[in-house]
Amino acid sequence: MLSVSSLMGTAALMAKSDDVKATVEWAEHFQGNYRLMTDAEKTEARARLERRYSAQYSKKVTVDCTEAAPGVLMGYALNIKKCIGCRRCVHACTEENNQSRGERPGERIEWIQVLRMERGEFTKERMDQGYPEGLGIQVGGNAYTPAGAVLEGQYHYDPKAVPEKDANYMPIACMQCEKPPCVKVCPVRTTYREADGPVVIDYNWCIGCKMCMGACPYWARRFNLTTPVLPKEAMNPVTHYLGNRPRMRGVVEKCHWCLQRTRQGRYPACVEVCPVGARKFGNLLDPESEVSQVLARKNVFRLKAELNTFPKFFYFYD
Amino acid sequence: MKKLSYGSLILTLCGGLLSSALAQTTSPAAAASAAPAAQAAPAAEITCFESRKGASEVVKRDIRPGHPNVKCSTRTGAVLWWGDPFDGTVPMGDMPLMDKIPAGKAVVKPRSDKLPLLAACGTGCHNGVIPPKLPTSKKPVPMPTMEAMMPDAKNFQHGRGGIWCLDCHHTTQRNKLVNNFGEPVSIEQPQLLCGKCHGDKLRDWRDGIHGKRIGEWASTGKKRWFTCTECHNPHNVQDGARNRGFIQIAPEAPPQLPRGMIDAKHELRHGVAH
Amino acid sequence: MDKLFSFIADYTRYVLKGGKMFYAWMGILALLIFGMLYVFYLQNTEGLIVTGMTSQIHDGLYLANLVFLVGVAAGAVTIVFPAYVYHHEGMHKVTVLGEMLAISAVIMVMVFVFAHMGRPDRLWHMIPPWGVYSFSSMLGWDVLVLNGYLILNFVVGFWYLYSKYTGKPVNQKIFMPLVYLSILWALSIHTVTAFLIAVNAARPMWFHSMMPIRFITTAFAAGPALIILIFLVIRNTTKMWIEDSAIKLLTTIVIWCLGIAIFLTLSEIVIELYARTEHANSLYYLMFGLHGLTRLVPWFWSAMVLMVGAFILFLIPSVRNNMKRLPIPCAMAFVGIWIEKGMGLIVPGFIPSPIGEVTEYYPTLVEWLMTLGIWAFGFFVLTILLKGAIGILTGDVKLAAGKAGEAAGLAANPNTAASA
Repeated sequence: MLSVSSLMGTAALMAKSDDVKATVEWAEHFQGNYRLMTDAEKTEARARLERRYSAQYSKKVTVDCTEAAPGVLMGYALNIKKCIGCRRCVHACTEENNQSRGERPGERIEWIQVLRMERGEFTKERMDQGYPEGLGIQVGGNAYTPAGAVLEGQYHYDPKAVPEKDANYMPIACMQCEKPPCVKVCPVRTTYREADGPVVIDYNWCIGCKMCMGACPYWARRFNLTTPVLPKEAMNPVTHYLGNRPRMRGVVEKCHWCLQRTRQGRYPACVEVCPVGARKFGNLLDPESEVSQVLARKNVFRLKAELNTFPKFFYFYD
Repeated sequence: MKKLSYGSLILTLCGGLLSSALAQTTSPAAAASAAPAAQAAPAAEITCFESRKGASEVVKRDIRPGHPNVKCSTRTGAVLWWGDPFDGTVPMGDMPLMDKIPAGKAVVKPRSDKLPLLAACGTGCHNGVIPPKLPTSKKPVPMPTMEAMMPDAKNFQHGRGGIWCLDCHHTTQRNKLVNNFGEPVSIEQPQLLCGKCHGDKLRDWRDGIHGKRIGEWASTGKKRWFTCTECHNPHNVQDGARNRGFIQIAPEAPPQLPRGMIDAKHELRHGVAH
Repeated sequence: MDKLFSFIADYTRYVLKGGKMFYAWMGILALLIFGMLYVFYLQNTEGLIVTGMTSQIHDGLYLANLVFLVGVAAGAVTIVFPAYVYHHEGMHKVTVLGEMLAISAVIMVMVFVFAHMGRPDRLWHMIPPWGVYSFSSMLGWDVLVLNGYLILNFVVGFWYLYSKYTGKPVNQKIFMPLVYLSILWALSIHTVTAFLIAVNAARPMWFHSMMPIRFITTAFAAGPALIILIFLVIRNTTKMWIEDSAIKLLTTIVIWCLGIAIFLTLSEIVIELYARTEHANSLYYLMFGLHGLTRLVPWFWSAMVLMVGAFILFLIPSVRNNMKRLPIPCAMAFVGIWIEKGMGLIVPGFIPSPIGEVTEYYPTLVEWLMTLGIWAFGFFVLTILLKGAIGILTGDVKLAAGKAGEAAGLAANPNTAASA
């Protein structure tokens, strides 16, 4: 069954592409886990991928394999007082990281989700009403009432202009935990925490069992339900093996703090695009870096800290 | 380049947001993603704004084949991605307490390029000397030239009546700003002026917590710093529909609905029936 | 060696021969299996987008059936345990049939794993030395224990059959430890499957210590219920007579376990809904709907009606002791627990997502075809295994008379005229 499905997949790929070199080479099917590869195997894997991607997207694609630099632990800080919910980070990310973008449900993948939260208020009018309990049991007072229709957050908000008067915004993506639950549950050790901090995935080794997706408390991981839809013009040819190289059907992907940029010293795309400068990135081990300064001077918190995941993505306000 | 919009920029020396909003008529043409005939040569020029409309437009072009300088949003006209963050930048001028940063590592995009009449401000009108009837009170007197260049001069939206033109603009060198000691400050270094009142923001900006930087993340890396006036229009910080101090902008598109969901209306209903 | 070859030959010959009903049954199953193969092809070329799964709800019908079937496989221990540990005579004679069920259920589980994964062509990544085995991963442990259980049952079951075939008794010194091991192992497969989903702190609906015991009790209710149904079918279609005592003992096990399962469900409902924290959102969605989205509400309540109704019916002696009426509560319990495991546990665990997004799930035609196909495949295998086992147990397939396999069809038993 293994080889049958593999053959079917290969056959299908061969049928679709117009360039012979764009097919998946036999050797790529049998390559090993990236972390266990020797340098020679890594070079070979990288060359194979560059050949295939360059043929597939009709441009020169580079697949970088830069390792973690010593003395670096990447960290991230987001100022929730500043975020205006414009979602440019979401779209800058997709421009940079070669996500699938198509019209069928499930074909468009975005790694960042922005949560819009409404403010409620306390009012005199409802002072005497009981606390709304689903089964009609009244427990306490109900002076607290939502300003709008709902209190629970929304993800699909689409007003004419942001920020709205009665709303707060909070983007959520992979927290790059120090103790990632997703890494623990992976049966093939394809997802792991790199030495400089980000949690990465070897897309060629992922078996698509989705255990990691179930374990993540922040819903950071996305699944490629189909062969990614990525037009040639939109493809970003500067890629990293563990980063933004085009993925394939049936594997998991997520934010990796733009490894292709950060390992070369550049900010992730979301940090650069934020129009209000809410996003900060740097080296947690360097006390002069922006993110260390934030941790030293501002009020900082992390989401779901009680789960002991020790995220390296901090939220702050000033 | 639209001369009309740049003409309205002159009067404020940094760009009048309202007038540029009026002048901005076209939205950018089809952006990078999914356009069938994307290559630039015969297609319309694509312009997008880096921080705010009217302050920092760039024209999309290829730095190398297949590698554009910016990628624009089709929905809002904002820059979504920089190919080369240091394109068109110059080193930032000297600033106190900036000596930790090695030379050439902090760069900015010059504003004076975008203000073609700035040079003229220095010499046109009284040719650099104090005019005979300098106002004795800190209230702007009606001057047709000034009002033509900045229509809201008498309804200045910054400081709630606490500051006026000459608190920021030099009296005689009118193409420069002024600091507390009356010394001229370059238009390229608005932070030396803004920090007069907004010291906590200046400190945070200097350390990278406030404001925007693109480039290299290492503390000793090269970064393009966005100066104060690239994001904030100093003539108009209070005005208009602002929530929490930000002028409202159009958001990018919401996420795709997953299979199984017809619409997202359930988000607008209360979770539990009451 | 010769004896082994003749065993395989006689077994195969016996299984391949049957009456019209047998061929019709296998034919329908084969059709469904072809459907499954086609759908599997679709999934491996287009991707899982042909199913109803999304990034929000990424475990659907396949994982639900997988989890349920692990329970059914574990339920076979309810025959083995009384037979060997309590020396229950009636059960002892039919133990091997339970082991056959366990084998087909585990095979079904494995096929569901193939259906559920994004890249089944990469499953070898889990097998050392070519692949990597992760000791911290519950899925890794699950694969290990399931394969072990399959091998154990295969060895124990077929060794027993082989010994009956040759007339030579088994070597008790090796056989009995394997049997005891398979009893313990049965508990472990379903416990590890419970751990698979229960160790996720991200999913408050599953993240509580009650999950493993709920899994075990529902498994030991659904498994024996299915076995009772199968035994009654065997009574009616073959010449093998399964003793009343075996069926009655299984009924008792079902009643106890169903009762405990209902109790656990009730206590979960009370505890979650009393404080009604956000951790109870999934259960609330299941019972009443959230934000006006109520797709799973009818499923939950029907599962409750079926389970409680089956429990009450089981308690009535005139139903429990009447072999014609007994199938009704058995089927009710089986279906009720199937719904409760799948729609009632797996799918709502993802609603809302860990960051609060509420989405809904509906399985597509592709998923139904695959599910039906895999169940058909399981029953196909089960029929073959049971037929062979019954042939050997009734003496139709024996080494001594080399022509045993020619007893085409089975001699009619007093209960039925048509041969199976």
